[in-house]
Amino acid sequence: MFDGMMSGLTTAVMPFNLMMVIIGCFAGTFIGMLPGLGPISAIALMIPITYGLDPSSGIILMAGVYYGAIFGGSTSSILINAPGCASTVVTAFDGYPLAQKKQAGKALALAAYSSFTGGTIGALVLLFAAPALAKVSLSFQSSDYFALMVLGLTAVAAFSGKGQVLKALMMTVFGLMIATVGIDVMSGIPRYTFDNVNLIDGISFLLLAMATFALTEVVMTVLRGEHKQKEPQMDMDSLGSMKLSKEEVKHVAPTIGRSSFFGFLVGVLPGAGATIASFLSYGMERNLASKDEKAKFGKGALRGLAAPESANNAASTGSFVPLLTLGIPGSGTTAIMLGALIAYGIQPGPRLFVDHPDVFWSVIISMYFGNIVLLILNLPLIPYISRLLVIPRPILIPLILFFSITGVYLVSFNTFDIQMMVIITVIATFLKLLNFPMAPMLLGFILGDILEKNLSRSLTLSDGSFAFLWERPLTLTIMIFAVLALMLPMFTMLKEKRQQAKAACATEEPQDDLDVSK
Amino acid sequence: MTVTKDHIGGLVFLCFSVVYGYYANQITLFPGDEYEPFHAKYLPLSLAILGILFSVCQLVTASKSSKDRLSLTGYDFVLVAKLLVLMVLFAISLEWLGFMVSTALFLSGGYWLLGERRPKILFLASVPFAVGFWFVLTQLLEIYLAPGRFFMTFIGS
Repeated sequence: MFDGMMSGLTTAVMPFNLMMVIIGCFAGTFIGMLPGLGPISAIALMIPITYGLDPSSGIILMAGVYYGAIFGGSTSSILINAPGCASTVVTAFDGYPLAQKKQAGKALALAAYSSFTGGTIGALVLLFAAPALAKVSLSFQSSDYFALMVLGLTAVAAFSGKGQVLKALMMTVFGLMIATVGIDVMSGIPRYTFDNVNLIDGISFLLLAMATFALTEVVMTVLRGEHKQKEPQMDMDSLGSMKLSKEEVKHVAPTIGRSSFFGFLVGVLPGAGATIASFLSYGMERNLASKDEKAKFGKGALRGLAAPESANNAASTGSFVPLLTLGIPGSGTTAIMLGALIAYGIQPGPRLFVDHPDVFWSVIISMYFGNIVLLILNLPLIPYISRLLVIPRPILIPLILFFSITGVYLVSFNTFDIQMMVIITVIATFLKLLNFPMAPMLLGFILGDILEKNLSRSLTLSDGSFAFLWERPLTLTIMIFAVLALMLPMFTMLKEKRQQAKAACATEEPQDDLDVSK
Repeated sequence: MTVTKDHIGGLVFLCFSVVYGYYANQITLFPGDEYEPFHAKYLPLSLAILGILFSVCQLVTASKSSKDRLSLTGYDFVLVAKLLVLMVLFAISLEWLGFMVSTALFLSGGYWLLGERRPKILFLASVPFAVGFWFVLTQLLEIYLAPGRFFMTFIGS
C-alpha cells in the first residue's frame, strides 16, 4: 500500500499533472458557475481533451473539474442565487441572503473553507477506506459483480426524487437498451444496427453524455427563453471582507466536521451523491440547532451555509469509493468518469488497485491537491472569475454547442455522430420535459456491457440456472440489498398514494352527499 | 380523465419497449445458440419485458393531478428547431467546406439566431475564434482536419 501511495504521489506531483489539477479546477469553476451546467456537463465537455492524455493525467484533470464545478456552482448560488448544479441548491438558502447583507465575501470564504475541510476529510477517509474495500472485493466472482451492478442500478432509483422512482427505473432500462446497440461482444452478432455501418460499434459513451447533458441543458435554456435574460449584474466592490472572525470559526467548526463525515458516508452509497448529502446535512444541522439558531436558517445562517458545502464536497470524494473499488459509479458524475476510464482501457474495480496503482493513488492524492488549489488559487480569484458570468448568453450558448459537437467529432471524425447527437438531444429534451432523470440512463448505458458479461458468465457456469443469485452468501446479501433498495421507495410511494387517496376521499365525501341529494 | 406527464411518459416508454422487444426477436442467432444458457437475444428480451413492466406500473400509478399536465406554452420550440437544424447543417458543411469555414459559419449563425445582430460582434466572435481553434488543432496538436470536398474538388487543395 505504501509503495502504491508513493507511486501515486510521484505521479500526482509531476508538474504536468499539477498543471492538470489547476486547469481542471479553473475550467470546472467557470463551467460550474454557469446556471444549468453542473459537474456532469463540465466533465463531459472535458473528456475529448483528456483523450490525448495518459489515463492518470486525464482522470486527474477530470477530478479537478469535478471539484471546481461544485465550487463554481456554490459561487453562482451565493452571488446571484442561481445554483450551477443540484448539489449547490442548498448553498443558496443561506449563501444568497448573506450576499444580500453585503457579506458575499464572507459567504464565499466560508463556502471555500467548508469545501476544503469536507474534501480533505473525505480524501483522508478515502485513503484508508478504498484500499481496504478493494482488497475485500478482490475475492468477488462474476455472480457477485452481477449482483453489484443490479444494486448500483436499483440504488439510483432508491435515491431518486419524490415520484421519480419508476421514472428512474425506466431510464435505467432505457440506458441498458441503448447499450445493446451494436455488435454483441460475446457472439459477434449485430443488434439494432438496422444495417447501418455507423451503428456497428454501438453508440459512443461520449456522444450520449454530451447529448444528454451538455446539449440538452443548453437546449432547455433556449427553450425556456433564459438566453434572453439580462446577464447578472454583480457589484464586485460590495463583496465585503473575506475574513472570518475567531468566534465565527468556532461556531461553524463542529458543523463542518459533522457534515464532512456524514457527507462522505452518504457519498459512498451508490446512487446517493452530493445533492442528497447536501440536503440531508442541511436538514440535520437545522434539527441540531437551538430554537434561536433555527430561526436564522434561510436568512443567512453561517451553519446553514457550512453544512451543505462541506457535505457536498465530502460526498463527491465518497462517491469515488464505489467507483474505484467496485467499478460501480456512486453518482451521475462518477458514471461519466467510469465511461472515460473504460475508454482509456482501464476497468475500474478491485483490480484497479492491483493493476494500475498509479491511477488509483494519483486520483486520490490529486483530489487533495484539487482542494488546495481551490482554496489557494480560486478563492482569491473569485471576483475576477465570476466576471465571466457576464458573457452574453447569445455568445456563450453557440460556443457551448460548438465545444460539445466538436468534442465528439474530433474523436470519431464522423459527421454521422453529430446527426446522432441532434436526434439524442431531441429525445432527451422531450424526456426532460416529462421530468425523466438523465443520470440513471447514463448509468444503465455504462454498466450495460459489464452487466451482460457477468450475467452471461454466471448463467453459463450455473448451466442456465438462476441459483447463482442465492448460492453464494455474498451474492445473496448484495441481492437482498438490491431488492430492498428497489422495494423501499415503492412501498413509500404506495403508502403516500394511499394517504393521498384517503385525504381526497375525506374531502370529497360532503360533495358526494350533495350529489346524492340532487 | 387528466392526461399527465406520467401518462405520456409511461405510454411512450411502453410503445418503445414493445418495438424494442419486437426487434429483439428479430436478432439472428447462430445455429444452436438458442440452446445455450445465454445468447445475444437474452438481455434485449429481458429488457423489453422489464420496460413493459415498468411502463405499465407507471401508467397505473401515474399522477392524476392537473398540476402534472404537460404544458408546452412559453417554450420557444421554433428557435430550438432552428438551432438543431444549424447543427445538422454544421455536420454537412464539415464534409464540404472543411472545419474552419464551417465553424465560422456555425458560430455566426448561432449568434444571429440568438439575437445578436451587430456585424462587428458576429465577425469578431466567430472568424478569429475559428481560425485560432483551427490553428491550435492542426498546428499545435497536429490533428489532421480534411479541407472539405468543395475545396478539394474546385480548388484542388
